[in-house]
Amino acid sequence: MKKTVDVSIPLGPMHPCWKEPVRLKCETAGERVLRAEVELGYMKKGIERIMQGRPWQEVMFLAERVCGICSVVHNMVFIEAMEKISDIAVPPRAAYLRVVANELDRIASHILANFSYCYTIEHETLAMYLLNTRETVLDNLERLTGSRINTAYMIPGGVRFDLLPGDAAAMLADLAKVEEEMRRHTRIFETGPLIALRSKGIGFMSREDAIRAHTVGPTARASGVEDCDLRLRHPTYRELGFTQVTRTEGDNFARVMVRFQEVFQSIDLIRKCIDTLPEGPIRGGGFCKAGETSYAGEAPRGELTYTIRTDDYGRVVDIAIRTPSVMNIEACAHAMIKDAASIADVTSTFISSDPCIACNER
Amino acid sequence: MRSIIYYLREFLRPEWIRKFFFAKTAPLETPSYFKGYPTLTGNECTACLSCMMICPAPKAIAVLRTRDGWEPEIYPGHCIRCGLCVEACPEGVLSSGRILDVTRRDGTAFWSWYHLQVDDNLCMRCGNCCVSCPVNREIDPQLAGSGTSSSDEVIMRVEGGRVRILHEEKCTGCKTCETQCPNRAIRVARMVEGVQIGEAEV
Repeated sequence: MKKTVDVSIPLGPMHPCWKEPVRLKCETAGERVLRAEVELGYMKKGIERIMQGRPWQEVMFLAERVCGICSVVHNMVFIEAMEKISDIAVPPRAAYLRVVANELDRIASHILANFSYCYTIEHETLAMYLLNTRETVLDNLERLTGSRINTAYMIPGGVRFDLLPGDAAAMLADLAKVEEEMRRHTRIFETGPLIALRSKGIGFMSREDAIRAHTVGPTARASGVEDCDLRLRHPTYRELGFTQVTRTEGDNFARVMVRFQEVFQSIDLIRKCIDTLPEGPIRGGGFCKAGETSYAGEAPRGELTYTIRTDDYGRVVDIAIRTPSVMNIEACAHAMIKDAASIADVTSTFISSDPCIACNER
Repeated sequence: MRSIIYYLREFLRPEWIRKFFFAKTAPLETPSYFKGYPTLTGNECTACLSCMMICPAPKAIAVLRTRDGWEPEIYPGHCIRCGLCVEACPEGVLSSGRILDVTRRDGTAFWSWYHLQVDDNLCMRCGNCCVSCPVNREIDPQLAGSGTSSSDEVIMRVEGGRVRILHEEKCTGCKTCETQCPNRAIRVARMVEGVQIGEAEV
């Protein structure tokens, strides 16, 4: 029998629940969604083209301007790729400080993603609570790096600033506060009956679908994909030792809960870093050489890859960035939204995969 | 009318008046870790242009000639407050929030040198680069028109029909050779490295 399509409903590019412009075209039969299609291209920056032919000092700043939410990890992956090309060693203290900055950024990103989801399911109170907690995290990022968003904290061979003992103590005190607040918010989310009605069993993606669609990050881990956290292969993280968070439900609730659980894990990692911070310099020697590499790191949303070619002058000749949302958005449209029970769930399902359009449209 | 009386009565209450006129909020304090715009410290600028060369933002900083010397000027509309100029300046001319203090305390700095490279495929051995180089001319005033020098101390000279770089470390990065080369065969690149220096050297 031929499928009948009642009406095609466009969501976006401007939508009150979405942080950035993207258009989602949903073909519906009554309330039921048969098919969804994502249309990108509303805020293309052309940043990869701008990076080409510039020295690393400039590309370092451009890299973290790819995305305003996970700017630290873009900085970190770019710098680590340059270090891999040039064979530069990082002092242990700098490596630990990098982890602290990266984890603070991850907490801020996860809280913003969960804020966005709560806002989409109209739980504005919890959303505002979460944003309030995020402020403390960003203040601590400023305490460490001197800036809230565009930090430029890492340089090839080390980091820019050291962490003073006084600042470390203040940061630990703030983290205890954040942890307590997040435990409260997690309990609200976990036990809320109305939240469960809007989240549990909605936007289901099976483990097979998640693997087939190449999803990464919390979206994949919520569907039960093991060993997809690239931090497990990062030497500093391996020293610190942690296990990745995985859930098996594969629905909106699981994706948000994975992010909530990862926040606690990040707080533990920061504590471990500060407690065992090695003494020594924060900068090693070495300058950027000519070469070519592809390096991947774990961004808050998943695997982030930088493919770079540099020349003798320390300039980036060619660069390609592959961000996690590329796969997650497609998987979201084809696996989660397809056969959604109601058009009302499309927005929250889309947001639950934490799409980052700024990362996507470099 | 009744509402006006109500409002008057409300606003003439001593508590309200006290709260309105004498309420004091704490003054907004800039945190010590805040990265501000670079400001001048009063140290003398030697016009080495390190700040301009490391600045990643276009048109954010310019070293201008004033009546008593040189002075860097920051254009806040273009500055991205990264603080690289503050870190790169060897004389401590600029200060930005805590960046200068932090670099002094941690003993961190940017160390830079110049890298010369001659493309043999493009080079036609005219020797313009060797003759025009101001450092070369100072070391060996007898440089002939061919660029062949008798001294081994020069930065570069024509040797065996090709330009050889002898002392790269003497280059000051003026790029005269690059501009004088008819084929753009010689390139000067500024290499930067973040280093940790001992307390004695700070």
